[in-house]
Amino acid sequence: MAEHGQILLADVTLNYRLYHDRTVTLRETMLNLLNRRTKRELFTALDGVNLSIAPGESVGIIGANGAGKSSALKLLAGIYQPSAGRVEVGGRIASLLDLGVGFHPDLTGEENLMLNGALLGLDRPAMVDLAPGIAEFAELTGFMDTPVKYYSAGMFMRLGFSLATAVDPDILLIDEVLAVGDAGFQEKCYSRMFDFRKRSDRTIVFVSHDMEAVRRLCNRAIWLDSGKVRMDGDVDSVMSEYLQGTHEKHEAASATPREWGSREVRFDSVVLRDHSGVPSRTFRPGEPIIVDAAISSSLENPVEGVVFGFSLHRPDGELVIGTNNLEMNQPLITIEGSISLSMRLDLEVFEPGSYVLGLALTDPVSKRDYHWQEYFHPITLLDVRRDPPVKLTSVDWSRN
Amino acid sequence: MVTDSWRSIGRLRLLMESLVSKDLKVRYKRSVLGFAWFLLKPLFSMVVYYFVFTKILRFGGAIPDFALFLLTGLLSWNFFSASLSGSTSSLLDNHRLIRSIYFPRMCLPIAEVLANLVHLIFAMAVLEGVLILFGHLPGLSLITIIPALLLFSALTAGAAMLVSVGNVFFRDVRQFIEVLLLAWFYASPIIYPLDSIGVTIIESPGLVQILRFNPVAGFMEISHSVLYMGSWPPAWCWLSLGCWSMIFLAAGVMVFRRAEPTVVKEL
Repeated sequence: MAEHGQILLADVTLNYRLYHDRTVTLRETMLNLLNRRTKRELFTALDGVNLSIAPGESVGIIGANGAGKSSALKLLAGIYQPSAGRVEVGGRIASLLDLGVGFHPDLTGEENLMLNGALLGLDRPAMVDLAPGIAEFAELTGFMDTPVKYYSAGMFMRLGFSLATAVDPDILLIDEVLAVGDAGFQEKCYSRMFDFRKRSDRTIVFVSHDMEAVRRLCNRAIWLDSGKVRMDGDVDSVMSEYLQGTHEKHEAASATPREWGSREVRFDSVVLRDHSGVPSRTFRPGEPIIVDAAISSSLENPVEGVVFGFSLHRPDGELVIGTNNLEMNQPLITIEGSISLSMRLDLEVFEPGSYVLGLALTDPVSKRDYHWQEYFHPITLLDVRRDPPVKLTSVDWSRN
Repeated sequence: MVTDSWRSIGRLRLLMESLVSKDLKVRYKRSVLGFAWFLLKPLFSMVVYYFVFTKILRFGGAIPDFALFLLTGLLSWNFFSASLSGSTSSLLDNHRLIRSIYFPRMCLPIAEVLANLVHLIFAMAVLEGVLILFGHLPGLSLITIIPALLLFSALTAGAAMLVSVGNVFFRDVRQFIEVLLLAWFYASPIIYPLDSIGVTIIESPGLVQILRFNPVAGFMEISHSVLYMGSWPPAWCWLSLGCWSMIFLAAGVMVFRRAEPTVVKEL
């Protein structure tokens, strides 16, 4: 039996039945039975996962979409039962998988707290004791007798978060929910989680795409890839492997990057660097992306009027931005022999994540494509959470 | 494991209480007549059936105070049908909750049944008052309504678990239940008695024998005897109610427990 705060997964496999169309009717089942198509398509969300988390660890689970992160968290929360293997979780668990789901819109904040306390398995006196603190943390003390349907989305989430974390669990499971709420409350949530982390016997398991948040909250990271543990170790080493791995995956997918053109003028090499000149594929907010391209021409005469452009796509192929020196009224390029060009991109990032950079050398006047590299250079734009979130620059006391 | 905190009966009871009281609070929000609907609904259907049967079909003359006889059966049926149709969607409606925290999910269909049971108990108390007013005095047998209600609730809860799980896999269940309840209503001794009140409506003893196999026939006949007649119900009623409630409860619990891990993923 696992001690409080301890998590053990032994050879855990979790299968789903897979539907191509989720609406299943009796008729289809009958038809399937008649056709003897009884074999079901199974999707393995977790595949023989072994994991041991000691009390006091804070562990980030990272991985691509569909890698099994959320499934793993649901297993720990007791929501899913493993298809095979053993899951042992010690002590009381609080799960922040989805906030405020047990709230009924017609009930007041107070009534909802009591109902949810019961759903979380708390005794009534315990819940009565906790309620004022929950309301206070959520900054909703004056609104507890208002039906929650009159709450704003932010108020709703705040109540959900304070409730979920108020129960003083041994293990806290968090799934991306912190992306909600205003910045001020987010910081409050973080500080509550930091307080929680400071207590030596309390365990955190955190699932996120937000690498910076994982780095901030966790001291150990587990990289899940297609339902298997690909890497398990300290946050920094796992994360750098992971970021590199996602790039390799992009490059290995032959369908994604495309390259074409006459190549009379061509990219010999392209290196992406950060502001200090170090080759990099991940960029922090405010950090410029410097594209150093070695370009050569195989034509005898100098090639004039070359347009050098770029495009930024999401990994799914959706174009985000793209422009070139012609559009931006910058001088066109003349190429003779081999030259090196540098392009500096300053981006304001609203949505951090993975993107792919494409580059092109064209001549729009003669309608010639010299060299296109589309979906070619995967990059990651990071989101930064500053710690501390606020810095005091000056303060004055004066008497009027 | 997580389920540890649910080994405590006190917490389970609190959860059931909370779910039932939520159901009762929410059901009549923004409704003018509110709680009175628990009586008005069967009352309205009673008026309709009474009119159709006594004025159009000219039936019911053999049963004295036919309106009260109707009301007795309709209250019990209303409990059964409302519980079944309500619990059909009880898992689907709470899919986000089920997928974000662990709690014994069996509580959802059971809470639906219990909320309806609260209604039934109030309605029966009012009905008993009306019956006394019209001279249908209760006998000592009245106390047997308590074990009968208990058994019938177990039967209903078992059925509720079955339909709630079934509807997750096949959305047809919802439509099917509506049709089934319509047929089931006329196949049950609600608007007619079998042998509980000493009036023979169905001439063929063979048909009566068949109708006794209906899982809800036992409770309907008990409520007719005990409430409307003030007499002791026939023995077969207890046998039928006892057996069927055990069968339904066992089947419901078994199917629910087996299907639960899959249900959570299918939601």
